Amino acid sequence: MKRTIFRNQLLPWLLLAPQLAITFIFFLWPAGQAIRQSFLREDAFGIKSSFVGLANFRGLLDSAEYLNSLKVTAVFAVSVTVMSMGVALLLAVAVDRMLKSARVYTTLLVWPYAVAPAVAGILWWFIFNPTVGVMPYVLEVVGYDWNHISSKTDAMILVVIASAWKQISYNFLFFVAGLQAIPASMREAAAIDGAGPVRRFFDITFPLLSPTTFFLLVVNIVYAMFETFAVIDATTEGGPAQATNIMVYKVYFDGFIGQNIGSSAAQSVILMLIVITLTVIQFRYVEKRVEY
Amino acid sequence: MASITLDNLGKIYPGGTRAVGDVNIDIADGEFIVLVGPSGCGKSTLLRMVAGLESITEGEVRIGDRVVNRIEPADRDIAMVFQNYALYPHMSVRQNLAYGLKNRRTPRAEIERRVTEAAEILQIGPFLDRKPRALSGGQRQRVAMGRAIVREPAAFLFDEPLSNLDAKLRVQMRLEIKELQRRLRTTSLYVTHDQLEAMTLADRLVVLNGGRVEQIGTPLEVYRKPASAFVAGFIGSPAMNLLDARAVPHLPGTAHAGTIGIRPEDLSIAANGPIEMEVTAVEELGAQRLVHGLTGGEAITITLPPDAPLSETLRLGFDRGNLHLFQRETGARIN
Ligand SMILES: Nc1ncnc2c1ncn2[C@@H]1O[C@H](COP(=O)(O)OP(=O)(O)OP(=O)(O)O)[C@@H](O)[C@H]1O
Ligand SMILES: [Mg+2]
Repeated sequence: MKRTIFRNQLLPWLLLAPQLAITFIFFLWPAGQAIRQSFLREDAFGIKSSFVGLANFRGLLDSAEYLNSLKVTAVFAVSVTVMSMGVALLLAVAVDRMLKSARVYTTLLVWPYAVAPAVAGILWWFIFNPTVGVMPYVLEVVGYDWNHISSKTDAMILVVIASAWKQISYNFLFFVAGLQAIPASMREAAAIDGAGPVRRFFDITFPLLSPTTFFLLVVNIVYAMFETFAVIDATTEGGPAQATNIMVYKVYFDGFIGQNIGSSAAQSVILMLIVITLTVIQFRYVEKRVEY
Repeated sequence: MASITLDNLGKIYPGGTRAVGDVNIDIADGEFIVLVGPSGCGKSTLLRMVAGLESITEGEVRIGDRVVNRIEPADRDIAMVFQNYALYPHMSVRQNLAYGLKNRRTPRAEIERRVTEAAEILQIGPFLDRKPRALSGGQRQRVAMGRAIVREPAAFLFDEPLSNLDAKLRVQMRLEIKELQRRLRTTSLYVTHDQLEAMTLADRLVVLNGGRVEQIGTPLEVYRKPASAFVAGFIGSPAMNLLDARAVPHLPGTAHAGTIGIRPEDLSIAANGPIEMEVTAVEELGAQRLVHGLTGGEAITITLPPDAPLSETLRLGFDRGNLHLFQRETGARIN
């Protein structure tokens, strides 16, 4: 690493100041507030608050609604991750086998990533809208009565598709890069060794792709758990009957709509702990190359 | 075991690059053939067409008496050793060796037997449970060889398998490969750009230039009677002197020649020899001395014993039987 010597002791701090300020104002300070609030309870009018220890956390674990949210989040995160990574891998393998038009497809497939989550949510909300959408119409032809406003399953499917769709682009790019890093001779050797295309994929390509896959696994879980707020807000708002009320949406809902600051803060702290855990796992294992 | 026949083989890559053309080679059962030529002359392309990794655009490849043009690599009964070894990094050495057999549903006991045997031949027994990344370059090379021999294929294909090794190991592995092939008697097609490797390994050499065959013959035939000026300059180290006949018009026995070739070791100091050489540089190789210079404006090199007296100009003589004469335009041999 190159070390630069600053004569002026103040200059380096000045250069860092804007970044430090942003980190402090938008991250550290709110995080600190959340932690503080999670140990407090406000009175009914929001005037006085008192220290209540772990009561907010205990309350959460006793709440059927919160436990439901945990379950919904798990189902949602796993579905989004599996779907976005599965589809992306399929597309990447297809593009990797193409020589001529690979660039065109890559460009097309990257577009969705540029779409804001809220816009993606509304887009899919329209496509699946029971009155004006095209999908319910198509599904009706095959005999399925789509209604994500009343059906819990339909609502979950809608938010999973809307969230996964956007992430496919991101995963696709990483998978394509990962595939191109595998020497062609490896697959050629396997072909001579008598492995057909499917075998080659599962015996050679997929294991060699595992560092990429693992990295994306963590990124996608984090995405599904924390960055899909706008998708939920634009489509189901957590409904029907809590069926899509994932943790991050519940934090917002209980805090801003329900005005239950203490409980909302405790939920934030739990989310923070989850992020930290995932990040640690990420750093621990991505460094040691997974699988080989 | 099988013979291999390349019949008018040619390759044009999509995009129109012609990499190989008009190649005819008959490889006998058990023969060790080396394809040699400068970088980009189409050696790998040719080998990969035999392996089935590259489509054949012209002509035919036959292994045994089967035309294999449309047959998958797996079903051609060949094994290939790649330049970068292409070992599967996530599998142990044992799994690497067994993979091809497992895919062919070889019984477990048979796999075990062949892996143990190959490991013994190649002395990689102690590493069987290691991953390739925990091996040295030479050991990886052996594993790559092992992966080929456990299959007991009709033919081995090698694409510059030694070029990633250091010079000393290369010489050692070269001997081992030759030894192994002699023992197994498996038909082999071996690609290299190293003419020394080619000379020492080959039963017969195929010299390629620009995708075409310049000469096929035993190493000695090719060395003694190069079919063209290109082969003459490529085979042999130090390289043969190739002089433009117009620069040395007075040389005896060179009528009609466009290019005159004479190997540095076939030149000697002679008081009234026909060549006058102006010395420009001397390389001491220990056992001998390489003297570089000019005659009639053409570069010329001579090997001399280390104690030979040197002066600024030398008079050189040669035996007429050692002259190689080539046509000016085509480079073809005329004597
Ligand atoms: N996939 C390809 N598409 C187009 N042209 C190619 C392709 N592969 C090789 N070529 C061209 O074909 C010619 C022969 O290439 P090849 O790899 O067979 O050479 P080589 O003799 O093996 O060289 P080297 O000693 O450097 O490995 C070269 O001119 C090369 O540029
Ligand atoms: Mg090559």
